[in-house]
Amino acid sequence: MRVLTVDDSRTILAMLHHTLANAGFEVLQAEDGQQGLDVLETENVDVVITDINMPVMDGIEFIRRVRATGRHNSLPILILTTETSQDKRDQGRAAGGTGWIVKPFDPEKLINVIHRVLH
Amino acid sequence: MSDLDDFKATYFDECSELLTELEEQFAAIESGDRSGDRLNAVFRAIHSIKGGGSAFGFSALVGFAHAYETLLDHVRDGRVELSEPVTVLCIRANDIVADFVAAARAGEELGAGYGADEKAQFDALTRGDDGDDDGAPIEEFDLDFVPVMVDLERADPPAGVAFIPVAGPGDSFAAPPLSGERGHWEIHFTPHRELYARANDPLLLFRELAALGDIQVRAELRPIPPLADFEPFGVYCSWQITLYAPSASEAEIAEVFEFVDGNCDLSIAQVGLRMAAPAPAAPVPVAEAPAAEPSAVPAAAAAEDAPLSFAALAEALRPAPKPAVDAPAPATALPPRYGGGYDGANDRRTGPEDRRATGVQSIRVDLDKIDRVVNMVGELVITQSMLTQQMDETLRARYQELVRGLEVLAQTTRGLQDSVMAIRAQPVKSVFSRMPRLMRELSARTGKKIRLETAGENTEIDKTIIEQLSDPLTHMIRNSADHGIETPEARRAAGKPETGTIRLSAEQAGGSILIVVEDDGAGINRERVLQVARDRMVVGPDQQLTDEQIDQLIFAPGFSTAEAVSDISGRGVGMDVVLSNIKKIGGSVHVRSWTGRGTRMTLRLPLTLAVLDVMLVKVAASPYVIPLSSIVETIQCARANFSRMPTGSRVLQVRGEYVQVVDLAERFEMHTDVAAESRFVVLCEAEGGVKMAVVVDDIIGQQQVVIKSLEENFQRIDGIAGGTILGDGSVALIVDVQGLRSGIAHKSAA
Repeated sequence: MRVLTVDDSRTILAMLHHTLANAGFEVLQAEDGQQGLDVLETENVDVVITDINMPVMDGIEFIRRVRATGRHNSLPILILTTETSQDKRDQGRAAGGTGWIVKPFDPEKLINVIHRVLH
Repeated sequence: MSDLDDFKATYFDECSELLTELEEQFAAIESGDRSGDRLNAVFRAIHSIKGGGSAFGFSALVGFAHAYETLLDHVRDGRVELSEPVTVLCIRANDIVADFVAAARAGEELGAGYGADEKAQFDALTRGDDGDDDGAPIEEFDLDFVPVMVDLERADPPAGVAFIPVAGPGDSFAAPPLSGERGHWEIHFTPHRELYARANDPLLLFRELAALGDIQVRAELRPIPPLADFEPFGVYCSWQITLYAPSASEAEIAEVFEFVDGNCDLSIAQVGLRMAAPAPAAPVPVAEAPAAEPSAVPAAAAAEDAPLSFAALAEALRPAPKPAVDAPAPATALPPRYGGGYDGANDRRTGPEDRRATGVQSIRVDLDKIDRVVNMVGELVITQSMLTQQMDETLRARYQELVRGLEVLAQTTRGLQDSVMAIRAQPVKSVFSRMPRLMRELSARTGKKIRLETAGENTEIDKTIIEQLSDPLTHMIRNSADHGIETPEARRAAGKPETGTIRLSAEQAGGSILIVVEDDGAGINRERVLQVARDRMVVGPDQQLTDEQIDQLIFAPGFSTAEAVSDISGRGVGMDVVLSNIKKIGGSVHVRSWTGRGTRMTLRLPLTLAVLDVMLVKVAASPYVIPLSSIVETIQCARANFSRMPTGSRVLQVRGEYVQVVDLAERFEMHTDVAAESRFVVLCEAEGGVKMAVVVDDIIGQQQVVIKSLEENFQRIDGIAGGTILGDGSVALIVDVQGLRSGIAHKSAA
């Protein structure tokens, strides 16, 4: 199983990588939405975890574009956010987000959430 | 634990970058650029610092960052105006965040009230409107998912749906052994098309429900349009789920549907709270249900046949072989295979794994690792040049293949060296961006009005050099602000604009990087400098110095002309420290001044630290190297036009110009047997275009050397910039052309 992690924070990317790699996932990384799109151009992934606040292209636009390709309709996209405000989360879902993970995540919970959206 | 430490290290690294970014952004904001991009970048930086901080439980940091972030959010969307006081508050807040980060890094606690004033100001500005749902910043990062309310008003099935009423446990369904003594849950679930568009999958929800207890799932199909009209994301199905979960709470069940809340019609109801074991009444065959159409396909069956709910739909489109109603299989615990591979008919997993792209455009590498490579490449260069030197004419003639191979090796080595050096190169921006803030401090403390201009921030230079550049540059700018720029009154009196300008620029010039600090101040007070120099016996009482030489005196050790030691420049270190720092990294400093118009200080730095193109020369049978970048030309002594000045010092006349002569043998007090006329003059150019004729015994050739610090391995020697190991293993000293010049001044002064 391959996970694409998209976050501009190296700390978060490192922690995601550690948690996911330990759980047996193959982890791809991107530092903003645009890089994320670039990765999806060439790579097959099973699930995407993306931050919302990012430079260049934010998570909401990223999700919208991923869905707009028409090629990733069933790709689960999890929104990673510290914001419990319903607002951001709803924006992310409206754009096509499948679910969300609240930072800081506890490793077990993170894996559970991924399994919730993964076939 | 070490993982956590690693993450912390990454986090603090990232914080320093983000803090630098904050300074850059605020520098731009201060100079009038208030674009949304800047504010967004500031917001993101604080947001990231907060986000990472909360992961490590730095609650003081997170609390402050949260309040600051809220203010920034208000500023970003215009609820709070980014006025001058707000900008100042933000800059102050950046410092406080930096302090919190530093404290967290050191494992210390700042005082409880630290930053409280600013926090109060944030709250006042945002009127306590927290922006987020809950006001308590720490609790916001609750590890739990927030339960979602279920929209019970939409529980009724939409009209036209074939609805099969579900009887209690023990009816005609091949129900599993029931544990639902306390009753069971009836869940009715009708997805909206958005649910599919967001890659949510009913099948996965059922799987989760199955984890709570035993479930039975029945699909209720709506009339399916002809295939031509069939929409992949269309809603043709809803589900009735019976969950036998004695201990499940409504919240737990709702949580399963958390991600699809709002994208479906959902009803969750607890029915038949039974106090005893199920005592089934007369089974109610589902076939008796009013709307038991043949199209009602048990979802469980569909689920068994296809890995996807979409596929389940497709399955349902086939003519049902028999009335579906009589074959509802229990869908308890969906097969584990769903947790494994997935090979649905979409774009994923098409073709072999394509791993050409790594998905990252840059990687972060520990500097130590790069340094190891740099060192090894350095050694490789030496070995390669040693090999080349070993090739004498006989060998050349005999082993032509070997010669060709060596040529290729030389080329490749050179390419490798350039590439490795490019890895270490970084824009000087990281240093320049610290200066606007310094300038603000200086303006505030001196009461002078100073504007900082920067140019060439993207010039790239070796990381190690950059790191060592900050202190000297800070000192030079302090010096300019303190001694160069005049008070507003003095400037007005001199007919200059009240605001002085300090210009900081970087550019690449040949094999060097030039960093220039220029001010439009009063210029160096030469009379005073010379006076001090004579008082301190740096310059002899009768010695005449050119203006340029006097200017250069400000770099002499222990030299300071400030009448009163000021708070800023006079911190017990003079510009000589700048000079020695710059020399340490193989650079040189030159100063030029125009009375009443300003001063320009130029730092010339090597592009890289490690490797230098040099000319190999011989003096008194020992090898020396002279940096190629400072050599203008070489002349045979026999053809050189020397003459003696009345003072006794020798000069060389080159194209009508008199150039000071330095005999390296004399300078380094060594005896040479080489006849004067067979020696050579190497015409060098020091900082500021001043030429110097360096006399050596012989010129051997041109090559690259790896610089080794003399100070680290031995001690500092005037006139020598460092050492190197030649191809044959012998040690050669690197001549410091600039140092030779100042050496002369000092020597004749002494």
